[in-house]
Amino acid sequence: MPHTLPKVTGTIDGLKFEVSPGTTLLEAAKTLGITIPTLCHHPGLPPDGNCRLCLVESGKKLLPSCVFPLRESGGAFSTQSPMVFEARAFVVTLLLSRAPKDKNLLKLAEVYGAQADPLLSDGEDGCLRCARCVRACRAGGSEAIALIGRSRERKVAGPFFEPPIDCVGCLACARSCPTGVIAFGEEPRSIWGRDFDLVKCPRCGRPIGTPEELKRAGLTDPLCPDCRRREFSASLLELPEASFTGY
Amino acid sequence: MLLKDQAGLEALRSGLIAGPKPTRRLWVCGGPGCLASGAAKIQEALVREAKGQGLNFEIEFRADLTGCLGLCEKGPLVGVEPEGFLLEKVALADCPELVFETLRHGRPIERLLAARDRFKSHPFYQPQVRQITRRFGQTVPGSLTDYLKTGGYKALGLALTTLSPAEVSLMVERSDLRGRGGGGFPAGRKWASCRLAPGSVKYVLANGDEGDPGAFMNRSLMEGDPFSVIEGMTLGAYAVGASKGFIYVRHEYPLSVERLNRAIQSAEKSGLLGRNILGGSFGFSLEIVEGGGAFVCGESSALMASVEGREGQPRVKYVRSTEKGLWEAPTLLQNVETWANVPLIVENGHEWFKGQGTSQNPGTKVFCLVGQVRRSGLVEMPLGSAIRKLVFDVGGGTGAGRSFKAVQIGGPSGGCLPDSALDLPLDFDNLSSAGAIMGSGGLIVMDDLSCMVDVARYFTGFLMGESCGKCSPCREGLTLLYRILDALCQGRGRSGDTQKLKKLATLLSKTALCGLGQSAANPLLSTLRYFEAEYLEHENEGFCRAGRCQGLFWPRIDQELCSGCGLCRKACPAQAISGQKNKPHKIDLANCLSCGACLSVCRFGAAKAARKDS
Repeated sequence: MPHTLPKVTGTIDGLKFEVSPGTTLLEAAKTLGITIPTLCHHPGLPPDGNCRLCLVESGKKLLPSCVFPLRESGGAFSTQSPMVFEARAFVVTLLLSRAPKDKNLLKLAEVYGAQADPLLSDGEDGCLRCARCVRACRAGGSEAIALIGRSRERKVAGPFFEPPIDCVGCLACARSCPTGVIAFGEEPRSIWGRDFDLVKCPRCGRPIGTPEELKRAGLTDPLCPDCRRREFSASLLELPEASFTGY
Repeated sequence: MLLKDQAGLEALRSGLIAGPKPTRRLWVCGGPGCLASGAAKIQEALVREAKGQGLNFEIEFRADLTGCLGLCEKGPLVGVEPEGFLLEKVALADCPELVFETLRHGRPIERLLAARDRFKSHPFYQPQVRQITRRFGQTVPGSLTDYLKTGGYKALGLALTTLSPAEVSLMVERSDLRGRGGGGFPAGRKWASCRLAPGSVKYVLANGDEGDPGAFMNRSLMEGDPFSVIEGMTLGAYAVGASKGFIYVRHEYPLSVERLNRAIQSAEKSGLLGRNILGGSFGFSLEIVEGGGAFVCGESSALMASVEGREGQPRVKYVRSTEKGLWEAPTLLQNVETWANVPLIVENGHEWFKGQGTSQNPGTKVFCLVGQVRRSGLVEMPLGSAIRKLVFDVGGGTGAGRSFKAVQIGGPSGGCLPDSALDLPLDFDNLSSAGAIMGSGGLIVMDDLSCMVDVARYFTGFLMGESCGKCSPCREGLTLLYRILDALCQGRGRSGDTQKLKKLATLLSKTALCGLGQSAANPLLSTLRYFEAEYLEHENEGFCRAGRCQGLFWPRIDQELCSGCGLCRKACPAQAISGQKNKPHKIDLANCLSCGACLSVCRFGAAKAARKDS
């Protein structure tokens, strides 16, 4: 018998949840069909809790649900209280000053009745500083870009604000960006002021990735994933019938 | 000399105490303020002069730099042993006379004399209890010999021979010592939690990243008595089972680094640090880590990230650092002043420690009293002393012609308290319920010329620049708050700004990621709480009653109070003030820039700020 820890129980908006210890509040809400708005959160990346949009209330306190681990039973959380609404409106107001035209943000602004403050209109660069790109880069095995500087000057860039030498051109940063503000070229490949070659599949001619990307991933196979699959299926057809017993 | 056991340590100590002493010693204050006004040169000059006058060094005299003597306002200070004179504002030109009169004949120089009995009857020192700062004025900082002579390492000797680690930890728990870094978290709880946390590798860590404007208590401690921090950390390491420690020192404190390093080296040479401390099986080594100059690194998770070599940024974490801290190992982090309390507790027992302060807040606390007081400086008081005692008895109140307005306590994330809070006991709980924090113990006194909106703008601006920028409320929100405050101070405020500030500041404190961001609204919230009228005057009338915000007032000279001293006339950059000596002066508003220079120089309270339309 595998050892199982006792489940953690509690309520979110009055609904009972039961999850394994360590589950985040955000995940627990999902099991109940409750959606909590997020911006810096990405299910494939380590949580950071920096945008503060996913705050929920627990006993007069606000908790970032994307990082808050449920360890003890008995918690009662609210994702709809006036305090939560106010907090989210505040966060959306502030982030609007960065990306006033972003569709997601505008939708949130409508929900929470938030408006960009004209006093903060000088920093509209479309970037929310959510660090999803930085985390995606790190998750892929590089640390080509980072958030540099502090306070409102903080921004994503390569070392010394130059084209990052460790960038492999995988575009994970651009694809994980919630506002889609990172400029890139798919084919020919370019990002962060750097141009990359593309390795093409000798069979179908489609690009597989940049040489730097394939090297980092340790891929030596010249075929693209689709052609490789096709080739593998074809090889199965040539095997004698007996090889398939037991399947 | 390598000490092999406690007996050897005690033998060395008694030998040192019984050893020859110079007839007279001069202790030149080596605190930050006095050093800045030339104390090091004065010390050199005194030695040179004394030798020149034929006095025998080491036999007839010594003159050394020591830790901060406290009365920074009157520096450079010189203490005289054994007579106990305290001389103030000593200049290089005074040195020959000082050597002849005082060093040779034991007579004070009357014009420089601050006190005949050093730290006893002088109003600045009389209310103080000098416990943590007791070695300032009787030891050379970083000298192991002096440290031992004044009872240093007694606690460690005692602990290693007679107490188990658990017993040492229990002493700290029972002492009810609270963390001196700001929040006042019970130190003993941290000790117990770290001691019981599983793990073979543990760390102890000292926070010396003092970054508050106007604060220098940690600095004074690291520069004035570095061994007390080191001994405290050694005891902590013994109690929780750590063998490695780090002292995180602010980059801007090179002298702290130098003196701590010197102290660490001599402790290592003497077998008081390193492997087999005092010949036993316990080993502990200590390293200094210099910060990179970010205020946020005073926050525990950012500090640990910085020690690990990563970017100094707070992390969201729901595990205590006593369980998972530095490199995920159990870590005991305390402020340097908290560490300096530990040897006292272990040596004298927890009951003794509770003899000072209040039951919930035992012990003493070092404060930096600065701003508009007559006697600014480094002050050590029992916790729970009334703010009034500190500001008026020790500090002597505000300057001539000025009245007390507020005291800003706890650094940039602290709060401003008005005169109605003057009788509040200075302790962790009372301060936080009044809307301020103890912080590391900075007190900035402000008189009626301080505009509270401007003060809030200053601190908010400081924190805006120091915000690490990780979470959106702190990064964007502080900028928004600052801009509203800036507009108010420039007379560009809009209707509803005060209410807006209140709402935004409350939201910031609820939504920010780390303690720094959550407390960043404190200067604003506390000034709003006690001085809302001033905000409304700025917002609705474009009036600054303190005469601080340029263009938001006209200066007026009260003809009854004006003595005709002419100071304002000389100070006015626009030559808008006229009048004859000893007769009331007048301001020609057509030329007035509304800069407030006349207000700040007037010693009779005659120059006042008036509404522009009056």
